[in-house]
Amino acid sequence: MEGMEQWRNEAKQWLQQGIEYAHQIPPTQLYAAAAVLLLTTLFFLIIRLFKRTKSSTIVLTGLTGSGKTVLFYQLRDGSSHQGTVTSMEPNEGTFILHSESSKKGKIKPVHLVDVPGHSRLRPKLDEFLPQAAGIVFVVDALEFLPNLRGVSEYLYDILTKASVVKRKVPVLICCNKADKVTAHSKEFIRKQLEKEIDKLRVSRSGISEADVANEFTLGIPGEAFSFSHCSNKVTIAESSGLTGEISQVEQFIREHVRP
Amino acid sequence: MLEQLLIFTRGGLILWTCKELGNALKGSPIDTLIRSCLLEERSGAASYNYDAPGAAYTLKWTFHNELGLVFVAVYQRILHLLYVDELLAMAKREFSEIYDPKRMNYNDFDETFRQLRKEAEARAEELKKSKHVGKPVIDGKKQGQVKKGGFEGGNKKKSEANDGGDGDTGKSYKLETGHSNGNHVNIEGSRAVVANSKENASSNVGAFDVSKLQKLRSKGGKKTDTVVNKGSNVHPKKKITKKNRVWDDSPQESKLDFTDPLEENGNENIEVVGTDHGESMMDKEEIISSDSEDESEEVGKESKPDTKKKGWFSSMFQSIAGKANLEKSDLEPALKALKDRLMTKNVAEEIAEKLCESVAASLEGKKQASFTRISSKVQAAMEEALVRILTPRRSIDILRDVHAAKEQRKPYVVVFVGVNGVGKSTNLAKVAYWLLQHEISVMMAACDTFRSGAVEQLRTHARRLQIPIFEKGYEKDPAIVAKEAIQEAARNGSDVVLVDTAGRMQDNEPLMRALSKLVYLNNPDLVLFVGEALVGNDAVDQLSKFNQKLADLSTSPNPRLIDGILLTKFDTIDDKVGAALSMVYISGAPVMFVGCGQSYTDLKKLNVKSIVKTLLK
Repeated sequence: MEGMEQWRNEAKQWLQQGIEYAHQIPPTQLYAAAAVLLLTTLFFLIIRLFKRTKSSTIVLTGLTGSGKTVLFYQLRDGSSHQGTVTSMEPNEGTFILHSESSKKGKIKPVHLVDVPGHSRLRPKLDEFLPQAAGIVFVVDALEFLPNLRGVSEYLYDILTKASVVKRKVPVLICCNKADKVTAHSKEFIRKQLEKEIDKLRVSRSGISEADVANEFTLGIPGEAFSFSHCSNKVTIAESSGLTGEISQVEQFIREHVRP
Repeated sequence: MLEQLLIFTRGGLILWTCKELGNALKGSPIDTLIRSCLLEERSGAASYNYDAPGAAYTLKWTFHNELGLVFVAVYQRILHLLYVDELLAMAKREFSEIYDPKRMNYNDFDETFRQLRKEAEARAEELKKSKHVGKPVIDGKKQGQVKKGGFEGGNKKKSEANDGGDGDTGKSYKLETGHSNGNHVNIEGSRAVVANSKENASSNVGAFDVSKLQKLRSKGGKKTDTVVNKGSNVHPKKKITKKNRVWDDSPQESKLDFTDPLEENGNENIEVVGTDHGESMMDKEEIISSDSEDESEEVGKESKPDTKKKGWFSSMFQSIAGKANLEKSDLEPALKALKDRLMTKNVAEEIAEKLCESVAASLEGKKQASFTRISSKVQAAMEEALVRILTPRRSIDILRDVHAAKEQRKPYVVVFVGVNGVGKSTNLAKVAYWLLQHEISVMMAACDTFRSGAVEQLRTHARRLQIPIFEKGYEKDPAIVAKEAIQEAARNGSDVVLVDTAGRMQDNEPLMRALSKLVYLNNPDLVLFVGEALVGNDAVDQLSKFNQKLADLSTSPNPRLIDGILLTKFDTIDDKVGAALSMVYISGAPVMFVGCGQSYTDLKKLNVKSIVKTLLK
């Protein structure tokens, strides 16, 4: 008890001394000190804001069965292990691409997200799009014609989403399964997609759906649609998830996730 | 024996398959399981049947929700292996000990699995031996009941196979035998079916018709080995001429058909009212209230205002401390409360039950994070499940389909089916109005040749909308009328043909057969089931029976089922929107239109988010 009393007295003394000291400083200096503190904190916040807008998220999307999960594991580990089944949840990971792991120097890890393509799980895409720095749209080059409508509708939906148009997110259309003999070439796929999207423009113009609002229209009205009309960059490439031929995809990723 | 056992992550990567059972699976049963069952929120079911050319598999599964793993066992349907559930549970336990998210290769699990399998098989053998002792006694008693047992099994299996609509059209082929006397296989078969039919205990049993049983018994057993599953349409169609019903002593009316003699251009009799009622609500954007996010948080806070004081304290303590794993008993009170809430919103009881089971299966074993209550976690899981069910599986862009059909120079045919009085004719006119606004030429076909006034009703609509109508009066075969209507549409270049049919109860066998004939003969592009939002538990029965009858009574190998749902009378229910959920869950078909009034513009699209919000309020 005595110890406590002593301690309390000492604390009181220190407090009084501190207050006296503070009173001694002329007010202008105090204000100046406070202002400097405020400015530095603001400065730090602004720097952090700028840093944050440069995200490093790449979103892998496409119809179900096009090979996104295989591509994800190829990019990450260099092999697709024992095979895949239809994904029920997104696969996320932040890592250095497998092919770059042998490079020396500071490489920024890439945040890669593989969003399931099943139509029931479409809403999951909307969670990841706002932070995307690039979109890889995987198309099955083997079973292209039977799924043409589904592919073009999905692509159209993505290209007309507000978060994609406003931020001009670049899109890479990746024709997967190119190692198979009967796979279509990327030129053929590009032409077919442009034709289908042209038709979709006509049937979807002006109608707003209750679930997914096509907030923007694509292309120039009156002219046949071409991917060069999009305000964001749309490129097309070939790849093969099973054999590991993913160099064009890696190039795209490296371009848009600057170290 | 077991065909295959797989372990894969929810993200889709296969972690381990059994290399001993190296048989390649025919078809793609795992993918189909995921698409038609696990993603459809039917993960509470006991098993899933898959048919591919050359194989009939049954799949069983279990989840490890904490690690995000799925364990699936595949075996031939003919073998009724009893040890699969046990084996899956043991495999789950063993594997979760060696699981590591970084590791991709689990070859050491082979050895463990071999031992587990031997154990499980040994245990099953023992069980079988003890059952065999009691069998001969049961054999003698069951002689007389075999026929009936076989039938019950047959019917149940048939309807079980068709439960859930298009995913599950596996036609069972061995249990339709009604006349094998005291067959060993038969008894086992019916017992196994009874064991397997836990998930469809409800509506399908009611379909058992005693008169059918007597008829088939008298026909003689000719279907002992053949692959037949249409036991119901054995008896030949007898053409019964309709006798006029006499109510009292009044003299019989000779003429019952009071339609005016056809005046194709009788438009000058009736004034054509200009039909510009404004923009159809299909094209107007839904104004979703912006305070939806706040509401969901509030719901979480006030969801349990009436728990006992002690219960509240302990739950708060648990939520801060974070218990180890969620057990089923923890989830039960929250799930029960959720189920009751769903049922007050007019969701059918068995649908609410199945949904809750599915959500429980996906949450069991998960680690409870600190600072979360069980009820909020269950709520979040349920919300996600509901959004998943109500999101359409395929695109419902009808205009796109119409344009595609236009390119092929065929008319796009839509058939409206449903029970009596749900609003088929009214909504048909609304759909026609909407299509007209998008510059698509429409033609109506009056195939309701039964109800007095149906043809006139459509004729009035056609006059007001100024579109052609194809009619043949009353008491004609609707299938033939539809066929001719489609030919006429192809001739005069209409883009869409809307076919109106008579309302019929789902239990009415001859009418359902007539409907199936109409669908089979004309092969429409869209079979639209019209259901009213006021319906309660009957929605489940209606849809499942319609689908079942369309599948059974059709003579083609790929029967057409219900492709879409039109929900009517939506303006009469305030927030009891559960019928939408019941219908979509039981049939798998998306809701394409919502009728919300009686004028031409009252047609909307289903807003998934607002429905989910209303259901969980």
